[in-house]
Amino acid sequence: MKKTDILEVVSRKLSPFIILFGLYLITYGHLTPGGGFQGGVALASGVVLLLLCQGQSVIHRYFPLKKINYTEVTGYLLFILIGLAGLVAGRGFLSGFDMFMGYAIPGSVIIFILNLIIGLKVGAGITLICYYLFIEKGDDE
Amino acid sequence: MINMILSGLLLVTGILGIVLSGNLIKKVMALNIINSSIVIIFIYQGSLTGRHAPIITGEEKSIVDPVPQALMLTAIVVGICVTALALVLVYRMYRLYGTLDINEIEKRIRDE
Amino acid sequence: MKRIIHTVLIAVFSVFLLFSLLSIDKTPDSAGDYLLAKGRDETGAINLVTAIYLGYRAFDTLGETIVLITSVSAVVFLMGGKA
Repeated sequence: MKKTDILEVVSRKLSPFIILFGLYLITYGHLTPGGGFQGGVALASGVVLLLLCQGQSVIHRYFPLKKINYTEVTGYLLFILIGLAGLVAGRGFLSGFDMFMGYAIPGSVIIFILNLIIGLKVGAGITLICYYLFIEKGDDE
Repeated sequence: MINMILSGLLLVTGILGIVLSGNLIKKVMALNIINSSIVIIFIYQGSLTGRHAPIITGEEKSIVDPVPQALMLTAIVVGICVTALALVLVYRMYRLYGTLDINEIEKRIRDE
Repeated sequence: MKRIIHTVLIAVFSVFLLFSLLSIDKTPDSAGDYLLAKGRDETGAINLVTAIYLGYRAFDTLGETIVLITSVSAVVFLMGGKA
C-alpha cells in the first residue's frame, strides 16, 4: 500500500499529544473522568498510530519490544507487591496503608499508585497485542 | 423504552451474526457486538437513578449509579482479551486450512 | 432450510428477550446512596468509579490483570514472536 505525505506528517505530530493525553487520563484518574484502563488504552492508541503510519523501525527505536514486555510483567508484580504491603501494614490484601514510617498518608495515594501501574500495564499489553496482530511476515527486520 | 428495544435489537443482531454467518472473523465480530450491547444495557440501566456524573465535588447532587459503570469497565477489558485471543486462533486456523469458512474447514477435517 | 429454522428460533428468542428487557425494574439506588455518602472518605478518590474499581473491588481488578496478561502471552506465543 502506498503511504501518503498526510499520513506521514499527521501521525508524527499527533502521536505525542495522544500519549500526553493518555498520561493525563492516568494521573488524574481519581479526580476527573478517566482512570488507569482508559488512559492505558489512549497510550496504546498513540503508539499504535506510530506503528501503523511510520513502520516498525520507529517503534523499535522509541518503544523497544523488550521494554514493553518488561513493563507488562513488572506492572503485574508491582500490583501484587502493593497488595502484600497492605497485608504487612495489618489491614488486609490490597487495602492500602494509612501510616508509613510514622507519617499519615491520605487514602488517595494508594489509588494514584495503582492507577499508574494499571495504566502502564494496560498500555503495554494492548500495544503488544496490536503489534503482534498487525505485524506482517514479509517485512520484519 | 426505546433504548431497551434498540439495545436488544443490537444483541439479536450479534446472535444472528454468530449463528448465520459462516465466516469466522465475522463470528468474532458478532461476539464483540453482543459484548457492546450488554455494556449499553447496563450503563443505561444504571443511568436511571440520577442525572450527574459520579464525581463528588462537595454539594449533594443526584448522581448516576457508579456500580454498573465499574462492572462494565471490567467487562470491556475481558471482552478485549477474548477478542484478541479469538482473532489469533482464527489466524492460526487460516494458516492451517487456507480458508475462513467454517463449513469448508469442517469438511476438510472430516476428510482427513 | 437450516438457516430458516435458525432464523425462526432467533425470532422467538428475541420476542422473549424483548419482554424480559422491558420488564426490568428500576435499579435500587441504595448502593449509589451509600457510595455518595461514604465513598469519598473510605477510599480517598473523588471519582466514584475509580473508588469502586481500585478501592472496594481492587481484588477484581487483580483478576482482570491476570486475564490481560494471560491473553497477551497467548497472543505473543501463538503469533510466533521472538520477543
